Amino acid sequence: MNTMPVLELKNISKRFRTLQALDRVDFDLREGETHALVGENGAGKSTLMRILAGIYSEYEGDYLLDGQPVHFNSPAEALHRGIGMIHQELSVMPELSVAENLFLGQQPLTPFRMLDWRKMNRVAEEELAKLGFEHIDVRRPLEKYSLGTQQVVEVLRVIISGARVLIMDEPTTALSPAEIERLIELIDVLRKGNRSIVYISHFLNEVMRVADRITVLRDGKKVTTIARTETSVDALISLILGHEIKTEMPPALIKQHERVMLDAKDLTADVFTKINLQVGAGEIVGLYGAIGAGHFEVARALYGLYRFDQGSISVDGKPFPRNFSAHYAIEHGVAYAIESRRKSLFMDEANYKNITLPHLARIARIVPRQAQEIKVAESAMKVVGVYPPDPVNPVGKLSGGNQQKVALARWLTFPPKVLIVSEPTRGMDVGAKSDVLSILRTLANQGIAVLVVSSEPETVLAVADRIAIMSRGNIVAHMENKNLNKDILMRLL
Amino acid sequence: MSVKTDSTPVPTAESRQRQQTNLEIWSERLAALAPLWTLVVLGLLFGVASQGSFLRSVNLNNIMVQSSTLAILATGMTFVLLTGEIDLSIAAVMGLTGMISAKLFNSGMAEPLPTIIALGCAILMGLISGIASMRFRIPTFMTTLAMSMIADGLNQWISGGKTVFTLSEFMQYLGSGRIGGDESILRVLTVMSIAILLLGFVILRYTRFGRYVYMTGASKSAARLAGVNTSAIIVACLVISSFLAGLAGIANAGRLGSALPLAIPSYLIETIAAVVLGGTALTGGRGSMLLTGVGVLTYQTLRNGLDNIASIDNFMKVFITGLVLFVALIINVVFSGKAERDRT
Repeated sequence: MNTMPVLELKNISKRFRTLQALDRVDFDLREGETHALVGENGAGKSTLMRILAGIYSEYEGDYLLDGQPVHFNSPAEALHRGIGMIHQELSVMPELSVAENLFLGQQPLTPFRMLDWRKMNRVAEEELAKLGFEHIDVRRPLEKYSLGTQQVVEVLRVIISGARVLIMDEPTTALSPAEIERLIELIDVLRKGNRSIVYISHFLNEVMRVADRITVLRDGKKVTTIARTETSVDALISLILGHEIKTEMPPALIKQHERVMLDAKDLTADVFTKINLQVGAGEIVGLYGAIGAGHFEVARALYGLYRFDQGSISVDGKPFPRNFSAHYAIEHGVAYAIESRRKSLFMDEANYKNITLPHLARIARIVPRQAQEIKVAESAMKVVGVYPPDPVNPVGKLSGGNQQKVALARWLTFPPKVLIVSEPTRGMDVGAKSDVLSILRTLANQGIAVLVVSSEPETVLAVADRIAIMSRGNIVAHMENKNLNKDILMRLL
Repeated sequence: MSVKTDSTPVPTAESRQRQQTNLEIWSERLAALAPLWTLVVLGLLFGVASQGSFLRSVNLNNIMVQSSTLAILATGMTFVLLTGEIDLSIAAVMGLTGMISAKLFNSGMAEPLPTIIALGCAILMGLISGIASMRFRIPTFMTTLAMSMIADGLNQWISGGKTVFTLSEFMQYLGSGRIGGDESILRVLTVMSIAILLLGFVILRYTRFGRYVYMTGASKSAARLAGVNTSAIIVACLVISSFLAGLAGIANAGRLGSALPLAIPSYLIETIAAVVLGGTALTGGRGSMLLTGVGVLTYQTLRNGLDNIASIDNFMKVFITGLVLFVALIINVVFSGKAERDRT
């Protein structure tokens, strides 16, 4: 490996009004190196990454590329000099073909300035073959492929546009374990092709597999940069947190399930078959599966948003009618927080409006009073600890973890009998994660039946009393969360 | 750099936020009212250019009367546009209800039955477009377009292509009656349209239904997840719009003194223009009923204002109206769009 830095940041500082986001941070990236950036949310990783990618052009300090000082005013300028970014939310166009996506914005043209489809498809095939993805048909619409493949296409697109430095922001959040494996293989190939990668992730296990060096940020300051071979996941966690790991989970109450709150029998739809699930009052059950296993659809079916052909659902002993609506589910004590906060929250609207919306009918038959709504929202926000605790602040201005707390606060106004949460901790830092998980435990201790649906083994392992594992639409295992670990779960997928 | 914060006592997080954003909040509030400022500026401009004749009370009253029908239509359209949908059938429904009530009256039926039946038809048409759209996932753009042809076609069929000149006293009262005797300047139609607009405002701003309308437009998926029956909300808004179009049709026939066998298509475009001039987003979730009222007045001011300026070539008027509309749209849509959404 060449040890000459391709890119170097020296003494970088960045302020947002009163917040010192970065404080004299140094960072360097060598040729052919994968350099991971880790830290809690708010530690400064995204700020650093945005400076690298040219999104933020105002900062103090020096940015050197091949030893020469540079200053980018836009991501386009950075890309022009070979620095490309792969965003957490994919920016591919699902309806376009794979080849079109690969050449988005730079399609090859014929001498008559028309799209050169033949050349585009041929070059796309060559590029894919070079990296071992010849099984992808470049003429098919991208949406026909899995999220993992879409991710790969996004990476290749940035490479085709000439990037030798790739910034990957949480590239694996939406991927199944198999897809993660493939992405890691791709990173290996890229590394051998002398591309340099800045890898940002919350998943320290992954970081330990892909990174050559790891830089830890905390509160806007660089803690250290270490070689992967000289550290471990546990060591990284204590570097990230600045102290030894503490578990502040409230203890699980031991409960007899004399009161089954949620009872699903033989639920069958196109993507799942004969799902049997019981969640007792005060119990947290984890429904774990890889992306595409059908567990998210089960969650939606339980809330009346996914049609099932057979089976029955009853809540607190009361059977639900066949095609019940989400409104019916809410009225009968089912609450559901989905995996995508962007889809479930009104980002431009005030917190209180987001929180009270499902319960408006119960707050007031016809005319809801703002003062009362705010009061209701305020107390719910206090329970989950939203920061800043301003009920008229738009949700979109909060951090991801706080948005998730608002999504949960929504269901605390009138505590439900059954709470279903999909991916409650996706994309969150360690601190916010444990906050959210302990909120779930608190709710369960109040007698609510909680179903946690997730593709992150860490999440279900951390919070569930029992775990049901789904694979290809079936529940393949069902066990107490005792002496379980990630390996066991992964093996059952 | 941060000398200021060091020398003053440390404010609480809340008050600091207030201090920083006080000016921003005010500029936001002013920007949100951009349609109102446009109206005021236009009014003053025309007042000066027409050497005062535009601002005479007779003319201002004219504008109010001309705005009335449009205001009723725009109230309904605001509901629909806020959900992110559209209703293209209002002009045709308007024509049809005028004709139905006129025909029924002439067949010997006593009021208010003809009016009630005509309004019932209007409600039914909104209901059908809405349910068809929601049930079969056809864009309201298409169902209401089809419905507009159905309504206009029915109108032509029922009327046999002939204008009906004999109208009930009730229709005439709605369209051209005055409150408190013939000398009064208070028109029934104007009062009714203001009342409808205000009622629409109260419903949108203060009721649960109004909140659902905004939230449906802001994000259908999020509203559905929160248990809002977005389909029902959209159908209800289409029904409201169709009902108000029907009412406007009956009143308008009364105002003209005849029921026409054809729809006047310009009403549709003018209604949408007025609502958008008031800052309501065609994509839904953003807008205000009071500003729709301002939009209606702005639109009529534009149409009326040029007529008061003697020196303008008659053949240039439409061109100039178009230009001014363009500028007004840019100002209103850009500024109220930039301002933060209604903070209630």
